[in-house]
Amino acid sequence: MSGFELEHPWLLLLLPLALLPLLRRRRDALGYSYLPWLPTDRLGRVAGFFGTAFAVTAMATIVVALAGPGQPESYVSRTGRGAEILVLMDRSRSMDLRMMPSDWRSIDPIIRTHQAWARGPQKSKTARDLLSKFIDERADDRFALMFFSGGPLPAVPFTQRDSLLQAGITAAGIGVGLNETNVGRALTAAIREFDERPYSGSRIILLVSDGGAHLDAATQATVASGLARNRIALYWLYLRSINSPPLDVEDPRTEMAPEIALHRFFQGLRTPYRAYQAEVPEDFERAVADVGKQQNAPLDYLEQIPRRDYSRYFYGAAAFSCLMLLIYRALQLRSWT
Amino acid sequence: MSSPQEFHYRLSRRMGGQRPGSHGGMSLGAGLEFATHMSLFDRPDPRRLDIRASVRAVREEWLVRVNRQRAGIAVHAVIDVSTSMHFGAQKSKLDVAADFVEALGMSAFRVGDVFGMLAFDSIARDDLYAPARLSRGSGIEMANKLRECTGSAGNITGLEQVVAQLAGRQALVFLVSDFHWPLARLGPILEMMSHAFVVPVVVWDEAETQPPDRDAIAPLRDLETGATGTLWLRPSYKKRWRDAVTARRAELDDFFESRSMRAFYMQGAFDADAMSRYFFEAAA
Repeated sequence: MSGFELEHPWLLLLLPLALLPLLRRRRDALGYSYLPWLPTDRLGRVAGFFGTAFAVTAMATIVVALAGPGQPESYVSRTGRGAEILVLMDRSRSMDLRMMPSDWRSIDPIIRTHQAWARGPQKSKTARDLLSKFIDERADDRFALMFFSGGPLPAVPFTQRDSLLQAGITAAGIGVGLNETNVGRALTAAIREFDERPYSGSRIILLVSDGGAHLDAATQATVASGLARNRIALYWLYLRSINSPPLDVEDPRTEMAPEIALHRFFQGLRTPYRAYQAEVPEDFERAVADVGKQQNAPLDYLEQIPRRDYSRYFYGAAAFSCLMLLIYRALQLRSWT
Repeated sequence: MSSPQEFHYRLSRRMGGQRPGSHGGMSLGAGLEFATHMSLFDRPDPRRLDIRASVRAVREEWLVRVNRQRAGIAVHAVIDVSTSMHFGAQKSKLDVAADFVEALGMSAFRVGDVFGMLAFDSIARDDLYAPARLSRGSGIEMANKLRECTGSAGNITGLEQVVAQLAGRQALVFLVSDFHWPLARLGPILEMMSHAFVVPVVVWDEAETQPPDRDAIAPLRDLETGATGTLWLRPSYKKRWRDAVTARRAELDDFFESRSMRAFYMQGAFDADAMSRYFFEAAA
């Protein structure tokens, strides 16, 4: 945690400039014919000392601040417990739609589509609320955050810092959604996140999405083998939209819907798979409990502590010194007349 | 620049010297002031035969009236041109001294006295030396030289060297300085000029004697030594400042009084009337 470094150490060559106020031939001093004539003034000497001291401090601190002091970037080893959960969140345009109201059956089908834009909370909003609640409740788990649309958008690497994750989730609410949903690429990228990490316990990809996709055979193979290789469990938090089928329906007519197709593909995987539906409150609690059931080995990992910059403290000191110098200057006698 | 002011000076004592002038002299000659009677044989000047005195004389001889002659004297200005004399808020002290020299030159010429100047800082300044002579423009010339000169840090050794040239002479000497040195060595120097009538002219500036009106922090630099100091000008300190000035003035007054002299103070400008008054008082 300790350590001190300078970004531009060569700027310290300017440090001797701070000695300028100590030179005896000072322009601002008023000439007087015979100083021993005047009685000595201790208070004045103190004032003069502080005037010089502030001038020296101001110049020295500015030079040091320019040199860029700071605590260097460092790595801290942390021991983590709990699951490693990669949250893969859909940022597509459809996520801006409203949630499927629970009383959808009683609404006239003619206005139902209109209501998809107007009534109830946004899907992405619901998803974000659920996620941040989820992260809050799973304090021991390590989370990573990745958005996807046409491609994967990595947001937060694996960390245990809740504040960082909450900030990332909040950031997902900025602006409108993007216009594509490519689950295949996103899943592949999410699986690749685990490639370089030592296995420490349960690994979960939490897919937060409202739509599915037909994956081609090559992608299906990549996803299946990747999940198996990295021993990743896949959880799907499904946000149902209007005119989308529920996942647990057994209706042959919906078999071709992308959501159901994806669901079927996931169900066919050898790795664990669970699906939760967002409009069912019990499902959320089930998800939390499911994650809690996982057994995890403690894992030592290095966390990067970013460089801390101290120069603003030096600039602050310089500004204070300059302010004191201004006061000193205002009080100063500059001519005899 | 206004024309130089003129002042009158007269001395309370007689001066030697053969050159006729306006001061009470010691030499005998053509004058109105009766001195003594002498025998015609000793002083063969029949125009001054005093018949009444001759008749009354116990020894029967011709007596001649002998008068004293008014004498012209030498006037010397000894000027301190050290760095401290270049100080001054409105007008440097040396400029004030130059005004005085100009006025003195004119006044001396008017009454027919020869006038010369000697200058010193840490050493005798021979480049500013002017021999005593009777010349209408000499005062102006000297004053201009003073106004243009630069000086180094002052020292009483310079005064010693200069005064050595005047030692034992009968003259009127104006010692123009700010007297910013210890007085201990000034005594022997004044004794060297015991035959002369010495007028110490103390030139101080308003900024030296009066602290500024406003309360302020004043970083100061000694013009001669370069030493620095900072003062916090506040009412209590200003009082101490004025007290120090008063004390120095008292010290100078005591010092000169013990040598039967009286200092003439100039502050900011030369006042010719004050100088005339000074001589009236001194001669009274």
